[in-house]
Amino acid sequence: MPSKTQGAASLRRGTFQQRQKRSALLSILPVAVILLAIKAYPIAATVYRSFTNWDGLYKSDFIGFANYADFFSSGLFAKLLKNDLVLLLSVPLQIVIGLIVAVLLYEHVPGWRAFRAIYYIPQIISLVILGYLFKSMFSLDGPVNQILRAIGLGKYAVEWMAHGSTALPVMVGCITWYSIGWQVIVILGGMASIDASVFEAARLDGAGFWSRTFKIVLPMLVSTLTYCVVMSVVWTFTGLFSLIYSMTGGGPGYETMTLDYMIYEKSFVSGTQFGMACAISVVLLLIVMLITAAEMKLSNMAEKAWG
Amino acid sequence: MKSNKSVGRTIGRAVIFIVLLILAISFLYPLFYMLINSLKTLKGYYRSPFALPDEKLQWSNFATMISQFKILELFKNSFIISFLSVVGLILFGALASFAFAKVDFRGKDGIYLAILATLFIPTQVTIIPMYVTFAKMHLVDSFIGVVLAYWAAFLPETIMLMTSNFKGVNDALLEAAAIDGCGYLKQLRNVMLPMGWPAISLSIIFFFINTWNDLFTPMVLLKSMDKRTVMVALSSLIGRYTGDPPFQYAGLLLSAIPALLVYVLFQRSIINGMSMGSVK
Repeated sequence: MPSKTQGAASLRRGTFQQRQKRSALLSILPVAVILLAIKAYPIAATVYRSFTNWDGLYKSDFIGFANYADFFSSGLFAKLLKNDLVLLLSVPLQIVIGLIVAVLLYEHVPGWRAFRAIYYIPQIISLVILGYLFKSMFSLDGPVNQILRAIGLGKYAVEWMAHGSTALPVMVGCITWYSIGWQVIVILGGMASIDASVFEAARLDGAGFWSRTFKIVLPMLVSTLTYCVVMSVVWTFTGLFSLIYSMTGGGPGYETMTLDYMIYEKSFVSGTQFGMACAISVVLLLIVMLITAAEMKLSNMAEKAWG
Repeated sequence: MKSNKSVGRTIGRAVIFIVLLILAISFLYPLFYMLINSLKTLKGYYRSPFALPDEKLQWSNFATMISQFKILELFKNSFIISFLSVVGLILFGALASFAFAKVDFRGKDGIYLAILATLFIPTQVTIIPMYVTFAKMHLVDSFIGVVLAYWAAFLPETIMLMTSNFKGVNDALLEAAAIDGCGYLKQLRNVMLPMGWPAISLSIIFFFINTWNDLFTPMVLLKSMDKRTVMVALSSLIGRYTGDPPFQYAGLLLSAIPALLVYVLFQRSIINGMSMGSVK
């Protein structure tokens, strides 16, 4: 008798697990369908069309690597990449400032929670809004130039957004200001996972603020900081459309245009050079993949080096 | 000796407090600047953009935004899109994350990795074939098209966030529910949803704000004036009023308010969730 009930129980459990598995497969089905149809298929199509002169309507002849050759040899790629690299200068700024602010917040002075919440506010506001706000602040009669004139630096009071050489640094500043709060929150999250007793022990050993920061906090934050770098670099290459659109529209000429913005420009603004835009998309995708792979490798090496 | 050290410590903390305070002011000032100038006349603005409004407050800038430019209608469009996007993300995301976190099935790791691999693929890279396909299916100039694009864009992040959170839910609770006769969906609803609420609430808030603030996808996919989201309409409106900064600031400020309101209400769960560190 007992053996029979046992058998029935295990049989029930078997069918239960099978039911769970079937339900699990069913429950990932919607996600699988959505991602295959709206992510995997478009990528495959982008790669394929990058070898054609596709205009979205009639033309789609196979032209080999002509789009790529054109993109690289015309100097367009170098120009766009240079702009992306200038904007990337914001990443070390954000992370260094974010790290300093996080370390200061970790001292838990009165009001630190409120400060933390305030630093995150720019992240809540659309980059469209911030872009227009900064553009107007740096306009010819705007507040920044009024200050410059008031302190006798009137000759530097220019229309900042009218030239790439002045617009790009303003963008770097704006991106840094926008991103500090994110870095602070993520770095503080990483610091929270450091055992508080480690700090207490160091303090009892007489370790001051600076040696605590450099000997304990930094080494234990390697993986957090790597994460910050990867996310910020990839985001700089792919997440700045709204800001560029509102601040300069990529202009004047292509002086503030980036790789990802050029995809939009080529396909939805100046005609429908879909084939060329697809080639630029593939280049952007390769760059993003390369960065992710390189930084994962670096982070493994760093983890080993720091122990 | 000892008191010397504690005095030094107090001064050190005071310095830290002042540095943090100055930084906080620099983060709040642009908002304050938008607010004071949106309430000035054009003349008042050019007299000094830094002064507080010295005349009667010009609420008319805001009134024009609401009556003439129908910004509340635009809010409605943005809200519908953000709402539908978030509902799908949570529904499909929770279903898939439950499977990834708590059920063993063949090919699970491979499928999970394949989904995560699409995390870094920006919308710009997929937009052209997406646009052409959507055009054939009459999904261009429709909210559904934008919502589908957001599902594809944000599901990987949602699943990553929820799966790591769901993994921490105690298996004994699930077994107890199963013994009580709860099927798969009931386990999800009665156990995973309440226990995984931190990740779910963070996803709701985070992706609501994200989709509300986005410009690229709705700008490409929506054509007619009455369907545009607030960010799309704002971007064309502001460009036309470069000569009137107070009016611009009123529009910019109004458009920022819904997301800021969500932040003020749910600040704690956003900050706590972000500290888990997985979304950007």
